[in-house]
Amino acid sequence: MTCREAGPLLHARLDNELDMAGSASIDLHLSDCRACAAQYVALENLHEEITALDLAYAPGIALERRLASQFLKGTKSPSRPWTWNWLNASVMAAAAIGVVVLILSVPRLRIGSDTDAIAAEILDNHLRALQAVHQVDVPSSDQHTVKPWFQGKTSFSPPVPDLTEHDFILIGGRLEVIHQQPAAAIVYRRRQHVIDLYVSPSTGADSKTELRDLGGYHLLHWMQDNMSYWAVSDVDPSDLRTFADLILAR
Amino acid sequence: MDTKVRFFELTMWPHMRAAYNLARWLVRNDQDAEDIVQESFLKAYKAQESFRGSEAKTWMLSIVRNTAMDFRRRDKSGVAVPLGEEGYEPKDDSPDPERILLDRSRRERVRHAISRLEPEFREAIVLREIEGLSYKEIASVLGIPMGTVMSRLSRARNLLLAELGGTKLDGAGEVQHDLP
Repeated sequence: MTCREAGPLLHARLDNELDMAGSASIDLHLSDCRACAAQYVALENLHEEITALDLAYAPGIALERRLASQFLKGTKSPSRPWTWNWLNASVMAAAAIGVVVLILSVPRLRIGSDTDAIAAEILDNHLRALQAVHQVDVPSSDQHTVKPWFQGKTSFSPPVPDLTEHDFILIGGRLEVIHQQPAAAIVYRRRQHVIDLYVSPSTGADSKTELRDLGGYHLLHWMQDNMSYWAVSDVDPSDLRTFADLILAR
Repeated sequence: MDTKVRFFELTMWPHMRAAYNLARWLVRNDQDAEDIVQESFLKAYKAQESFRGSEAKTWMLSIVRNTAMDFRRRDKSGVAVPLGEEGYEPKDDSPDPERILLDRSRRERVRHAISRLEPEFREAIVLREIEGLSYKEIASVLGIPMGTVMSRLSRARNLLLAELGGTKLDGAGEVQHDLP
């Protein structure tokens, strides 16, 4: 590799954008070339410095308030109280957005059937978890870690199958409350997509899978052995069906 | 309607800060940045049916970026004297440049150096170093290939090194490696 070829690749290396082979060939060049090695160190310092300085501009409260009143109201419930809450929250800069989403998401729309309401609540929960730093309470790709974790915390035992061979990778689990009921959320990954599987006890009869689409996300619901299942993701619906079939057949 | 508002709130609203930050860096003044964010949110709100899946942030940021470009174009052709891309100094510079130069902290120097970059380099740096986007995400926001993201970042960082100084070897390194 020549220095000219190495130039832009130094940046890809710095940004973790190279695969192992690419990193290895750059590293080999860096071990040979002092000029490039020095350049790399300088770039690394610059990158760390810019990151550490936190140069982001924050929007003023007036703008947040204006946008919130323009785009976030029009939902049902009292907009006054949460606007006020939201203002306070935004002052606490760090947690602001998370707090907003939490406050706003709790009293969600209550139209349509009970199942519609649950679907909306499930999706809220899924989206919130995607934005959270911790998507799982128990991070583990090992079903023998995740399953016992739930046993200590719920009165029921959700299935936690290992679906690695089908390309659904277990990420972990967390405990949620859906429709005033404790629910186990088991988290899988399919390529870049996160799938949340919500499981909670229910008295209904077994039912087939039923697909819903909400704003680019897909939800599959079914009942099996006195348990209610909801799988939600932005993965392709056919992948979500495959996933549900695997859970059903486990 | 309810559903629309709710999805907007859950998918787009969390990126409001990133939207403002990008707009602010691109147009370099508060008022225009605010207008751009507001206009972008309106576009995003109207077009949200066309939005699919998990890349809400890059989708939102690409709207912001395009809106900011429109703003700049409008500015340049406007009757009122525009803020020239080159000559414009951020307004947080005080009227006493000499003193500011002496007092300017490293943070301000770095911020200043980034704000002086050409827009195509500045946006790459902001998305990568400040918003922490991957090359793939940056490519999606800017509508350019990933290889171009890499070369723009490369140019941008070399320019910043030259401006801000680093180790003694930086200058030599840059001359030697810079692509024509």
